[in-house]
Amino acid sequence: MKARRLFSVLSAAALLLPTLSVLSGCGSYSADIVLKVYNWAEYIDEGGEGSYEYDMLEEEGKTPSEEDAPSMIERFEKWYPAHHNGQTVRVEYSTFGTNEDMYNEIVLGNEYDLLCPSDYMIMKLAAEDRIEPYDERFFDTSNEENYYVNNVSPYINEIFESGTVGVPKYDDLVELHRWSEYAAGYMWGTTGFVYNPEAVDADELEELGWKAFTSYPNQITAKDNVRDTYFAALGLTYQDELLSHSPDEEGYNETLTGIFNRTDEEYSDAVRSTLLSMKEKIYGFETDTGKADLVSGKILLNYAWSGDAVYSMTLAEEENDFELAYSVPKAGSNLWFDGWVMTKGIEERGKKEAAQAFVNFMAMPENAVRNSYYIGYTSVIAGEEMLDYARYLYEDEEAEDPTEYDLGYFFGDTAEDAVLVASSKETERGRLFAQYPPEDVIHRCVVMDYFDPDTSERINELWSQVKAESLDAWAIIVIVVTVVAIAAFLVFVKFGNKIDFFRRKPKKGYEKV
Amino acid sequence: MIRLRFSRKTLGIPYAVFLLFFVIAPMFVILFYAFTDRENHFTFMNFVRFFSDPTKLSTIVYSLVIALITTVVCLVIAFPIAYILARSKMKRKFVILMLFVTPMWINFVLRVNAIRELFNWMGLLGETNYFNTVFGMVYDFLPFMILPLYTTIMKIDNSLYEASADLGGNAFTTFTRVTLPLAMPGIMSGVTMVFLPSMTNYVVSDMLGNSMVTIIGKFIYEYFGTDWHMGSMVALVLLIVVFVSTWASGGFKAEENARGANL
Repeated sequence: MKARRLFSVLSAAALLLPTLSVLSGCGSYSADIVLKVYNWAEYIDEGGEGSYEYDMLEEEGKTPSEEDAPSMIERFEKWYPAHHNGQTVRVEYSTFGTNEDMYNEIVLGNEYDLLCPSDYMIMKLAAEDRIEPYDERFFDTSNEENYYVNNVSPYINEIFESGTVGVPKYDDLVELHRWSEYAAGYMWGTTGFVYNPEAVDADELEELGWKAFTSYPNQITAKDNVRDTYFAALGLTYQDELLSHSPDEEGYNETLTGIFNRTDEEYSDAVRSTLLSMKEKIYGFETDTGKADLVSGKILLNYAWSGDAVYSMTLAEEENDFELAYSVPKAGSNLWFDGWVMTKGIEERGKKEAAQAFVNFMAMPENAVRNSYYIGYTSVIAGEEMLDYARYLYEDEEAEDPTEYDLGYFFGDTAEDAVLVASSKETERGRLFAQYPPEDVIHRCVVMDYFDPDTSERINELWSQVKAESLDAWAIIVIVVTVVAIAAFLVFVKFGNKIDFFRRKPKKGYEKV
Repeated sequence: MIRLRFSRKTLGIPYAVFLLFFVIAPMFVILFYAFTDRENHFTFMNFVRFFSDPTKLSTIVYSLVIALITTVVCLVIAFPIAYILARSKMKRKFVILMLFVTPMWINFVLRVNAIRELFNWMGLLGETNYFNTVFGMVYDFLPFMILPLYTTIMKIDNSLYEASADLGGNAFTTFTRVTLPLAMPGIMSGVTMVFLPSMTNYVVSDMLGNSMVTIIGKFIYEYFGTDWHMGSMVALVLLIVVFVSTWASGGFKAEENARGANL
């Protein structure tokens, strides 16, 4: 008997062993540095199908294999040792779904080295002193391997140079720092409306701007997240005031930034009523379904990030063979970006070099093109390769109405003659317009600051008031009283007979048992 | 040599450890967050804020109403089905039962998406958000009502029906005096399994109600993005509501004759 039990225990252990070794062995080949990168899901070239080389080979009629198109991580791991004295690196790559998820992970003490949050989250992390500034040598333009500073669009660079955030230093002292010290850009874009031009008149939509939310009943979606929809509601509430400013006046962009960052109570009360009236009119709030709903024709307009807009437009064209267009409200809109930041203490962990190399590797022009191709968003990286890629995508000199499209503001001196010739459709409301908005559009797009904790709490309350259906106070009281009464009744039924007072007196002639 | 002695109680140890780490400990974490502020100082503010905010109370009420309607509709649909299937002498009744149960094997998100397309085709999507939500929940939770009812009703001894007939009971009396009381454990178990998740399953309300219907589960989800303390308070209140309703319906009684009703 005993022998048999021992045997069974051993065989069970034997069965478990391979699983254990597989679990622990999973990707843990030894390397000098383990770099933990935390990025948005599907926000990097993952290799294989859908990546640049793979699709190019397929286009040529060949059958590509996974090895022909390695992921960006594999490329980096291979590239790194040759450029850093043979030191090897392994990237532990994980992804998140929202900025808030990522923030919670960081606050809970999960150690990551390199993060890719959005604009406001970068500011929040900096203001809470959770991220580390880049080294001086990262900004050394004479070093050829500093791909980021050598290739980043001068326009994006200007935004990162001029934006500031207060970082707490000793005790209560707060120091102003430039965004560029803490973050290196990755992808960027605007927000606007993707719409079906056959059903929605382009000029009319231009005219309506943010009022579109209340003008196409049950045909337009808003975002199911507080920041984006609050921004839209600000645009809707203050559209007239926004339009009263001329793009030519001095400090136009700053004025708009001020209006789109109104969170004080006097403003937020107005925004609340705007949101409530918006809710009456829109089709719904969405986080992910908007793209599919637009492509399948359930709705006519979708409030979206430009990157998603490009995705919807491509999907509609390829799968359903119809056209979608993109529009940015005249009154101004949101300019957003995602950027790489390094977490506090990366220096002590000895990974700063590798983290900065990773950022630079992503900024290498051909890699920026690869990522851009795979994700479909617009990279902050300029340069000849990027311009060629834009030409490859959009240039069409044989179009019926070839239009010159000047992207000089974005490419600056990183590329020569940044003027594309494309069809007017592309330049006015197509994918080119969505990916690289013209200078006058970008001039009216502003960055939305992070909410400080108290404001955040207030705006979240506001959001929940908008999202939830509110009952009148009397209705709540009536319902609560009813529920309590039912509960009391049930308790009485259950335990009533155990309490002497409620016990029925025994009938005459019977004894109480 | 140490002799290891195994008793049947030893087998319970892994379960107890599991409970400790994944049920008891998280509850204390929720309790801690619910009564602390951002600086982790003890506070009643979340409690006060919850009960002084009409929005949150309204949402609780709305969720309760949605869950109640879902449960009643499920019960009304499931009881006849379970009864007919359990009492009939059909040869292929197993097949019919499987027809109701197999949807459970298909991915939940797929099913909800399918209904979404169906509603869109019928022109209901974006129009009747509350109806859509309740419909989706009923569709999703129906098997959880049918199965326990089926198992309890099936185990009712046939001689009880004969006795009822012998004593002059008509169909109605037989139902109220025999079937219903004996099916009670099944009803209770079905009700708990439908009522509780339908207060929190916000995927249904988001997909079919276009995020225009907010139930308490969505609230908890949203707060856990930005404010864990308030989120924990909402979760705690929900926990209490659930606890009270389970207790009131006798869910904690050791059911000797539950007869397999508790899945």
